[in-house]
This record gives sequence, structure tokens and C-alpha cells, in this order.
Amino acid sequence: MNEPIIILSALTKSYRDLQAVRDLSFQIDRGEIFGFLGANGAGKTTTMRMLCGLAHPTSGLATIDGADAWQQRYAVRSKFGYMAQRFSLYPDLTVLENLRFFAGAYRVPPNELGARIERLLGQMDLQAKRDAAAGSLSGGMRQLLALGCALVHQPPVLFLDEPTSGLDPVHRQQMWDLLYELSHNGITIFVTTHYMDEAERCTEVGFLHNGRLLAKASPRVLKGTFKAKLLELDAKPAMDALVRLREVPGILGVSLRSGSLRVYAPDAEDLLAGWQRHWPFPEIKLLGHRWAEPDMEDVFTAYSQGYGAMLDQEAIR
Amino acid sequence: MNIRSSLQAISSVAVKEFIHIYRDWRILVLVLILPPVFTLIFGHAFESTEASDVPALLEDRDHSPQSEQFVQELINGATFKWRLGKKISGQPDLLREHVQAALVIPEGWGASLKNGDPIALPLYLDGSNTNTVSELEGRIQEKLGEFQKKQLEAMVEGLPDNVIDLAKKLPVDVRNQFISAMSQWGLASEVLYNPAKRFIDYVVPGVIGVILQLLTVTLTACTIARERESGTLYQLMVTSLRRGEIVIGKILPYLAISILLILVVIVVAGWHFHVQFHDHFVLALICLLFLLCSLGLGLLISAFSRTQTQAIQLSVFFLLPVFVLSGAFAPLERLPLAIRYLSECFPLTHFCRAFRLVNLYRAGLTYYGMDLIYLFLGVVVTFVGAALLLKRIEQ
Repeated sequence: MNEPIIILSALTKSYRDLQAVRDLSFQIDRGEIFGFLGANGAGKTTTMRMLCGLAHPTSGLATIDGADAWQQRYAVRSKFGYMAQRFSLYPDLTVLENLRFFAGAYRVPPNELGARIERLLGQMDLQAKRDAAAGSLSGGMRQLLALGCALVHQPPVLFLDEPTSGLDPVHRQQMWDLLYELSHNGITIFVTTHYMDEAERCTEVGFLHNGRLLAKASPRVLKGTFKAKLLELDAKPAMDALVRLREVPGILGVSLRSGSLRVYAPDAEDLLAGWQRHWPFPEIKLLGHRWAEPDMEDVFTAYSQGYGAMLDQEAIR
Repeated sequence: MNIRSSLQAISSVAVKEFIHIYRDWRILVLVLILPPVFTLIFGHAFESTEASDVPALLEDRDHSPQSEQFVQELINGATFKWRLGKKISGQPDLLREHVQAALVIPEGWGASLKNGDPIALPLYLDGSNTNTVSELEGRIQEKLGEFQKKQLEAMVEGLPDNVIDLAKKLPVDVRNQFISAMSQWGLASEVLYNPAKRFIDYVVPGVIGVILQLLTVTLTACTIARERESGTLYQLMVTSLRRGEIVIGKILPYLAISILLILVVIVVAGWHFHVQFHDHFVLALICLLFLLCSLGLGLLISAFSRTQTQAIQLSVFFLLPVFVLSGAFAPLERLPLAIRYLSECFPLTHFCRAFRLVNLYRAGLTYYGMDLIYLFLGVVVTFVGAALLLKRIEQ
């Protein structure tokens, strides 16, 4: 039972002249919450579809619990639950009818069906809404119902495609609490997101960029690969400063965070020392500076923008 | 993968599909109201195949005893609703007079009959409706023939005695030939297969076929397209459902509803129009094959189109020629040969033909066997096609 539950080896998907996923190889251990990060169009959904047996790989292989995700796709389906990015339940069916339908579709034995649905309704906090049409539910409740439908056959793996997109913070928190609970019960969770604060909640994170995996490690390890010091400046006017600083040689990028400017540069200390001797922009006022701890957003920016000089990528190889 | 779990999976799809239909009350009303209403409308609309009360204009410019007598004959007929015209010159304006035909009895017509040089009566017909033109012309020709015969009888009655004596001197065979030539040669016609000449008996399969084709094709066309549009198709495809189970589960509710519809049409036709149905088992088989064919077609369209709108548009494009060219309401023999080959491609054509062969002609299997085979092929082709198209979606 110690071998990885999800294995991708050289997984590739091309649509005519577009390579959506390129040579993806990694593994996910049982019980992990794996966060799959990447910009829109990076290939997250395509990868997930191949893992679910909805799209066939152009080359390469993916296995779930030892079964080939494409060749044995019917056998694999009992091993995972899938929650799509769009709301994809039947809006004209009630909460109960949706759950019953998916239970039937997943061949849940009829004698277990009632108890299992009751338990899911309790877990998702939807008992009061059991006879409401799914289409009449709020966005948060819809997602909870979708999660319930994906869990009705008690799968060991759960694929979630941006489960919290469009949810308010309360429902996002509720969704994550549920995911922790499921993970605690031994379910492996594969979740795509482009919220970086959500990436912090995962036990492991993979960065996907242009169909390639840039890095995969725990959030702590990934932040540890950030070897350059991160300089934060307060300047006025901030937008002018942003534009001017981006042109300075030695600066790879500048981003605005809570009104301050984060400077991505391999040798920020030298730059700062130079600026303390002579600030080259008379029209911009430099108010102060401090050293920041990199968060997942900084890590993701560095990896996806190719700021290799700031990273110690050998540490995760 | 055992049969029991497969049946469970199919029934859960079927139940879901039933709920979709049941919740969408607009469709439900349409499905329940349309068939009996259609049957009543079509049944009564074409009840009488003969033209009657056709507005027509009659101008008597002669005013001779003969012309007045002929006018009286015409007015007594049922085909035309004659209006006597007053303007006595030139060609009549059919459109302005709101008539479809105009007959002019020219000045001197009565005299010309007496002189042995009868003038042909000018008849003007509205040719825009090509179906009725020859029928109307035939009716007036018929009236003219009757009038001629009466004139002839009156003439023979009024012959002077010396002429009759003269005739008696003719040889017998010549006299017989002469008598024969003077009388009308008749037909002893007997109408077979639909002796009452009731159009409803002919059109019942057309009504059943058109309603079923309309409802089943459009409704099933929407089922898969709707799932694809709403994104639920992917959700469906990651479940343990097999493609075949999805298709069968989706078809079952529509099959049940369609069978109900057939029964409704048959009951309305039987009670209201007293249409009789024979060979119930064979008719049921024909209906079932046709139904499966229509459902398969709907599925094929469904699997082919991306959205419900596309599915509806495709259905309409398919159904339009079918309704006109399948012989549901008019005999195929009126169509040119090339078009008839096209008609043979429509399941509705074979359904109507087989149904009529059984119910009107009381014919044996040898007559409608080919139609059954065509329908069966249609079922196979559409279902296999739909399954293949669905397979393509999967990849």
C-alpha cells in the first residue's frame, strides 16, 4: 500500500498544433492533498481529464491505484470521484434525486444507498435542502452537493477542478474544512486552483506552466528554494515606481502587494545599497524598505516567469 | 459487469430522464395535447377529398332557352358556388371577382347548337393551384356532357313519325350500332381496399407517423445535446455508466411515452372516426420498428450537435422534407421518380406504406416485408451511428 496512488509517466496531450500537456511525469502518495497550480490554459484541466479517462493521452501513461487511466478507464472510474469546474449537476432534479441518480450511476448497492445518502447529506450540511431543486441552491451549496455526488461511491481518490472558484470566503473555508476531513479519512485529493492562498493548504504542490511541470514539492520546501532575498519597497507614486523599476537592469520583475512593491532580483542587496547612495528617480519618493518572506505567490511567480536566478532548483530535484 | 447491476444503472438513467420530462411541464403538455388534437384536425381537414363550393363566375351572354337551361343545371351542381356575372364583354378578372373559375356562354350559343356547329364555351381557370385545375375542368365537362345527353333525349322524343318510320327501314345491325352510339358508354366501377373512400382511413398512419417523428426526433435530439451544453455529459462519463447504458436509459422513457401516444391516436381514430384496425400484432411491430428508428435518428442528431439549439435546427431540417415527401398525406405516385428515390430513404415512407398495406389492403408479409427490413436497417444504422459519435466525444 505504500506505492504512489497516482502515477504520471511522460504524459503528453496534443491538439493538432497545440501541445497542451508536455511530458508530464510525477507521482502522488496516498492521503496527500495535491494542489495543481497554473495559470488558465496551463494544461491543468487537460491533465485532470486524462487522469479521469475523459481524454486519451497522445503519448505516455497515467495510472490510478495501479490501473491505466485510459486503457482500463471503466475499471478506474470506481476509484475516483470527479468534480468539474462548471456546475454539472441536473438543476431540475432535487438534491436527493441528484444524489440518488449518481449513486445508481456508480452502482452503489441498493441496500446501502439510503444510509450513505443520509450520511452525505449530513456531511455536506444539506439535510434542510434535500427536496430543493439543485438549480435553486446558492453557489456554495451547489459545490457541496457536487462534492457529495462525487463521493457517493466512496472513492479512494478525489479530483476537484477549481472547486472554490466563485465561492465566497465562508464557503471556501467550509469546502476546505471538508477536504481536510476527507483527507483525514484517507482519501487522496487532487485539486486544481489558481488561488495561491489555497496552495498553502495543500500537503504538496505542483506548478504547471505551458503544459510542463516546473516544480513539485510541499509548500514549505518550495518556499525554501527561494534563495534570493525579497525586497519590499514603499514608494510614491507607487504605479510610476512600478513602471520605472521594471526597466532597471538586474530587476527581473516587480509586483504590487498591499500597496508595496515587491522586487524580484537575484542581487537585491546590491541594488538597495546602490539606491541608498543615489536614488535615480527624482520624481518618485522612496519612503522605506524591508525584507519580505516569500509566500506561494512569490514562489509561483518566480517559477512561472522563469526567474531561475532567484531559485535553488537543485534542492527539489 | 453483471446484468443486474447494468439494469440498475439503466433504470437510474431512465428515472432521471423521466424526471426531466415530468418537470418540464411545457413539453409534457405538448406531448399530451398534440396527438389527439392533430388526429382530430387532420382527420377532419381532409375528410372530403372532392372539391365543393368553389366560387365561380357565370356569364350568360346568350339568354337562349338552351343557355338558360344549362345555367340551371350548373347552379344545381355541388362543386361550384356560381355567381352570375353582369359585365358582358372581354376576359373575366378572376382575382377581382374572388373566383377560381369563370364560364362564359357566348352570344349565339343556343343557335349554334341548332345549326350543327356548336361553339366551344370559353372557360377561365385559376391555374395557380395545380391540384384542382383539372378537377374543376372535368366537373364542368361532365355537366356539359349531361346537358348534351338530355338535349339528345329531348330531340329523339320530338322526332316526327315519318323520321321514325324511315329509321325502321334501316338494317337491324346498323340500327343497333346507332342506338349504341347514341347512349352513354358506362363503367361498372368497384372501389377496393377503401370502399367508403374515406380519407381518414388512408391518413391515419400519416398522422401517427408525423406526430411520432416530430416528438421523438426533437425530444431525443435534445437529450444528449442538453447534457453536453450543461457540462453534465462529462460528469455522466466519469461514472461507471457504459455508453450503451446511457443510450438505453435515455431511450426508455421516450419509448414508453411514444407507445402511449400511438395508443391515444389509435383510440381517437377508432372512437371518433370509426377507423378499424386489423392485424394488431403486425401493426404493433411496424410501429415499434418505426419508433426505434425515430428515436435512433434523434440520438444521432443529438450526438452530432453541440447545443440544443443546433439539435432543434438539425431536426427541423431533417423533418421538413420528410413531412412533404414521405407520402404521409398524399400518394407518392404524384412525385417525380427521382424524388421518389429520396422518399425511400425516410423511415416515415416505409412506415406509412407498411401500415396501409396491412390495414387498408390487408396484404401479406410478402408485400410489406421489404419495408420492415428497411425500418430494421434504419434502427441498426442510427443506433450504431449514435454510439460511434458518442465514442468520439469520449476522446
